[in-house]
Amino acid sequence: MNQKNEDPLGMATMLNTWMKSMGDMWGNMAGQWGASPGQQQAGAKADHGASPKTQAAMAAALKNWQSMAGAMAAPESLTAILKGSGAMPEVLLKLAQTSMGSLVELQQNVLQRLGRMGQSVEAYQFQDIDENLSRVWTDIYQKEFQQFFRIPQLGLMRTYQEKGNQAADKYNLFQSTLSEFLNLLGLPFSRSMQVMQQKLGEMAESGELSDDTKVYYNMWVKVLEGHFMTLFQTPEYVETLTRTVNALADFSAARNAALEDMLSALPVAKKTEMDDLARELFELKKRLRRLEKAQK
Amino acid sequence: MSQTKIPVDLILSKLAEDAEKAQSRAQKASEVLLDDLDTEIAQTAYEVVYQEDRVKLKHYLPRTEIRYQTPLLVVYALINRETMLDLQPGRSVVERFLEAGIDLYMVDWGYPTRKDRFLGFDDHINGYMDNVIDFIREKHALEKINLMGICMGGTFSVIYSALHPDKIKNLVTTVTPSNFDTKKGLLHVWMEHLDVDRVVDTYGNLPADMMNLGFLLLNPARLMIDKYVGFMENMDNKQFVENFVRMEKWIFDSPDLPGEVFRQFIKDCYQGNKLIQSKLEVDGKRVDLKKLTMPLLNIYGKYDHLVPPEACEQLVKQVGSTDTEDICLDTGHIGIYVSSKFQEAFAPKIAGWLKERDQIPQKKQSPPKKTAATRSSAGLKKTVHKANPNKKNTQPAAKPKSSRSRNASKATHG
Repeated sequence: MNQKNEDPLGMATMLNTWMKSMGDMWGNMAGQWGASPGQQQAGAKADHGASPKTQAAMAAALKNWQSMAGAMAAPESLTAILKGSGAMPEVLLKLAQTSMGSLVELQQNVLQRLGRMGQSVEAYQFQDIDENLSRVWTDIYQKEFQQFFRIPQLGLMRTYQEKGNQAADKYNLFQSTLSEFLNLLGLPFSRSMQVMQQKLGEMAESGELSDDTKVYYNMWVKVLEGHFMTLFQTPEYVETLTRTVNALADFSAARNAALEDMLSALPVAKKTEMDDLARELFELKKRLRRLEKAQK
Repeated sequence: MSQTKIPVDLILSKLAEDAEKAQSRAQKASEVLLDDLDTEIAQTAYEVVYQEDRVKLKHYLPRTEIRYQTPLLVVYALINRETMLDLQPGRSVVERFLEAGIDLYMVDWGYPTRKDRFLGFDDHINGYMDNVIDFIREKHALEKINLMGICMGGTFSVIYSALHPDKIKNLVTTVTPSNFDTKKGLLHVWMEHLDVDRVVDTYGNLPADMMNLGFLLLNPARLMIDKYVGFMENMDNKQFVENFVRMEKWIFDSPDLPGEVFRQFIKDCYQGNKLIQSKLEVDGKRVDLKKLTMPLLNIYGKYDHLVPPEACEQLVKQVGSTDTEDICLDTGHIGIYVSSKFQEAFAPKIAGWLKERDQIPQKKQSPPKKTAATRSSAGLKKTVHKANPNKKNTQPAAKPKSSRSRNASKATHG
């Protein structure tokens, strides 16, 4: 109870989570750097060609970071950090809490991804697509920011403001979905480069390196094509593609609705009005065609 | 631990050599690119003999004596344009058909605008196509004509032939999807989950750029990278550049797709797979493939990534015709039409197959009543379309049924 009174906004819990995840991250990284070459997995070979001395120094530095994060996560340290936070205006703290919550979530996702650094690269495999990392932007937007665009509008300009807000909201959603989609499209490039590194390593070991750069380009394009073909069939890609197309359509519709409001002040026909006219013409022509066919 | 030997000196010297070559190529390329390039497409002479709204009927001027009793109508897809069949002289399916003595017509669907968004299968198949076919039947006083469909145009042709079997003598389908229940083509995988209502309700027609981006994404490594690397490597070769630009012109000359056609194609075909099951309905009439009783030649590409063999090969098993032939060529979706090698196999095969079935057709007893189609054509000014609009043409518009010599045909090119 006391703790709750001292930290009514849950800052301590949040900071504790953050510090702990920081500690885990540095621990993971230290583990990666400290591992012996034999223990390291295939994909990491090329990256970890550092000398044992460098490795040891890096591992030591990372361990220090881990220790520091651990020390900061201790209850007494947290209390010290939080000391004085009660003096801040409550509204600022609430805003900070919202942002911190999102930040912690984002950081945790990043850390999970970093923890997987150095894992082996399997050519033409996308089972471990980490859609969460890019998805988290959309989630944060939907949880924390979208609500501001949905605040009910009042007064004479209510409808226009609402449409403007909807267009902004759909634009933001489209952008976040698009970034997920582009992130997926980037995967074959990074994977193909990693596979190329492995292949080049193998060629170097067997003394089959070519002096013709075109050979490497052809090899890369083939590997890249294979990765794209595999990615395009994954449910994650199909789902993200569908969401991106939908988000683009939603944004276009919201933007058009807002623009049509502006156009109504100008002496031009709106798209919806022209559509109505086109539909009427279409139906009339269809009736005429049926009558003509019936006469034959 | 063995030391790997990397031929760094050789690689560096090769790089230097490549850089020199690239510099020399760039110099020659600038000369080629600044030179007069012949990049015109669709140069074979034709006249527009019928027009209804945006849709035109092209009649190609014969190059030799017409050796077929029945004219052939080619129906292309609503995606991209029919100019693919006539990319360049010497590499043209149209030329090959004309040289075989076929009296050739082709539908030009034009460029749909926003007002065309409500036009669906019925309007295109029972409307425009039927009017065009009635026009040709009337002009030649024939009960039936030959019909050849390409890709989505093939799907339209299958539907038309099932709904109007009394008007089609022989049917040729090329790279025509009829069975959509397959995971082999990426389009089939992607379209399964598309919210087509949302797209059509928002855009009206499917924007061509969106469609093209989708096609490029089918193979970005080849279509967005390797293709242009190939261009850079050959841009000092004038003929290569001309061919490349012609292809680019065709690929990105894309009309928007009418919204309702897109909606029906996705819902009824890609998502419902109704055509091959004879469950598709157009204007309230069921498309029963068993009513497709005319001879059928079905051609498709083994490596077609847009319409894979699995999407094409079911058709002959489902139709009512007893005279069917299935041909799978070792090429892709476009290669059938633009590759010189496959044109040699493809066009003469179709010409020969049609010739074998070209008995003298029964003449019509009495001409049909005037339709909207015939009225449109009556008021249409015949214009001969030539390769180079700057060259003067003093030749009168050709009469399609008359035999013409190759020289006479050449004269129309100016």
